Amino acid sequence: MPELPKKKVGLIACSGEEIPEGTITRLAVRQVLESLRPEQTVTICLPLFLAGGEGDRAFARFHPTITVDGCAKRCAARGTEMYSGKPAVSIVVSNSAHPNSAALGSARRLSGAGMQAVRDVADQIAGHVDNLLGLKWDRRSGRPIHGSPPEEESKPRQAACSCGSGIPCQALCVAGREVTLIALPLIFSQFREAGKLPSDSTKTELMQAVKIYNPVPSEEEAAYAQAVMQEYAAFCRGSN
Amino acid sequence: MKEKILIVPCSGIGKSLGSVAREGAYVVTEELCPGRTQLMPLALLVLGDKETQIELSSAGAIAIDGCVRACAAKVVEGAGGTVAHGLQVLDVCRRHPDLKPSGISELDESGHQLARALAEEVKELVDNMTGEVTHA
Amino acid sequence: MSEEILKVTVDKFTFLVPKGLSYSDAGVWIKLEGNRARLGLSDFAQQQNGDVAFANIKPVGTALESGDEFAEIETVKVDVSIPSPLKGTIVEINPSLVEAAELINQDPYGKGWLAVVEVADWESDHTHLLDANAYFALVKDRAEAEMKK
Repeated sequence: MPELPKKKVGLIACSGEEIPEGTITRLAVRQVLESLRPEQTVTICLPLFLAGGEGDRAFARFHPTITVDGCAKRCAARGTEMYSGKPAVSIVVSNSAHPNSAALGSARRLSGAGMQAVRDVADQIAGHVDNLLGLKWDRRSGRPIHGSPPEEESKPRQAACSCGSGIPCQALCVAGREVTLIALPLIFSQFREAGKLPSDSTKTELMQAVKIYNPVPSEEEAAYAQAVMQEYAAFCRGSN
Repeated sequence: MKEKILIVPCSGIGKSLGSVAREGAYVVTEELCPGRTQLMPLALLVLGDKETQIELSSAGAIAIDGCVRACAAKVVEGAGGTVAHGLQVLDVCRRHPDLKPSGISELDESGHQLARALAEEVKELVDNMTGEVTHA
Repeated sequence: MSEEILKVTVDKFTFLVPKGLSYSDAGVWIKLEGNRARLGLSDFAQQQNGDVAFANIKPVGTALESGDEFAEIETVKVDVSIPSPLKGTIVEINPSLVEAAELINQDPYGKGWLAVVEVADWESDHTHLLDANAYFALVKDRAEAEMKK
């Protein structure tokens, strides 16, 4: 059986150049990506995202995201919502950084206080990553405690993913057993809005979308595809 | 008062080229052409900040992109602005093959030198656009 | 490119492996055109190496053994030696790469081709090559390993 792909959290920094808080967002996200949570996070390049980067937008559509903005304009949070979906967490540095912005240094060169703010924001981001992925962290070893379970929740037919990201998921019957597929309701909505009716070509495309965020064992792919198509047909009938 | 030329760096966070674009923009706006240029954050252009839109409509923009994806140039045009000149750090790299930048959070010495070379090229463009020639 | 393309997404990166080509372990794609083979860098290889600043390809007439360097790619990150997957002689190099080496990144299977080689011993050389499915499996493994670094 293929190894389950790890869920990751997308980090989006505003990287604003005009104020030191913008630089803090950039450095804090890099610190989380490089040191604090390298295996749990992916950085999404905001300029590429805004200019039409489909890989980044698709990732943000189906994975939980944390946006980190320098100021109340919240460009990263608003941009993410505009092109992919509401971020799971939105951090605004100016709300929590040193009360005297001038003490942070300049946007180009942060002061000692500015670098401390970077560390503080990075720690804050890392904490949110842990919450979103249901991780417990061993402070002594600096590694996640393997097997730390996601929070148990009751399993309605359609629910938000238990990682706390808010991404809807749906249970369906595959080869006689219940399987929960993350993001399935969103996928169905997008396909329906695009006017894609149930068909063989839609089945292929649906499975490609499902596999972005869900592990599908290769030997069961046909069974999954059949179950997904049945659910999609029911979804289309229900939305008519 | 003459409008300042807008300098729009991509500030891409995934590659050192984005950091070079960012640092180069600072060198231009803070050291080489401080009174004639203004740094404009790219995200503000997309998200329809009103003040930004006004500035964009009245001034020329120089887009500084890290790579061929040219995000800054695309965003300026998408926001209704005119890219007077689009530079790519990768092209500046080609003109200075001895400078291979590394580091994203903190550029190395080659990265800083490349940023300065980039800024000098931007300054020439600014000089041509404004008809003024200044010496730093 | 009209043939089917295998696709794998790891995190936010998508890697393409067209089905109609052969591949070397080093990430060179090979398209047999009669007794000649067109060579280029795979999508995975070009993404791994980064933005190409210069592409230096051995000149027309260069005789190659399998494994000999036939091109060197200079990116912002690294200088990469590209080994030939075949024995043969270079008969054509891509002139567009002089002015626009970034074609290797933008269109690795189309306009970003590197060289055409007159093949000396396809019978023997092609047994060391990977078909698309085998190379695709390799790409998946390497991409996932890369993301964990």
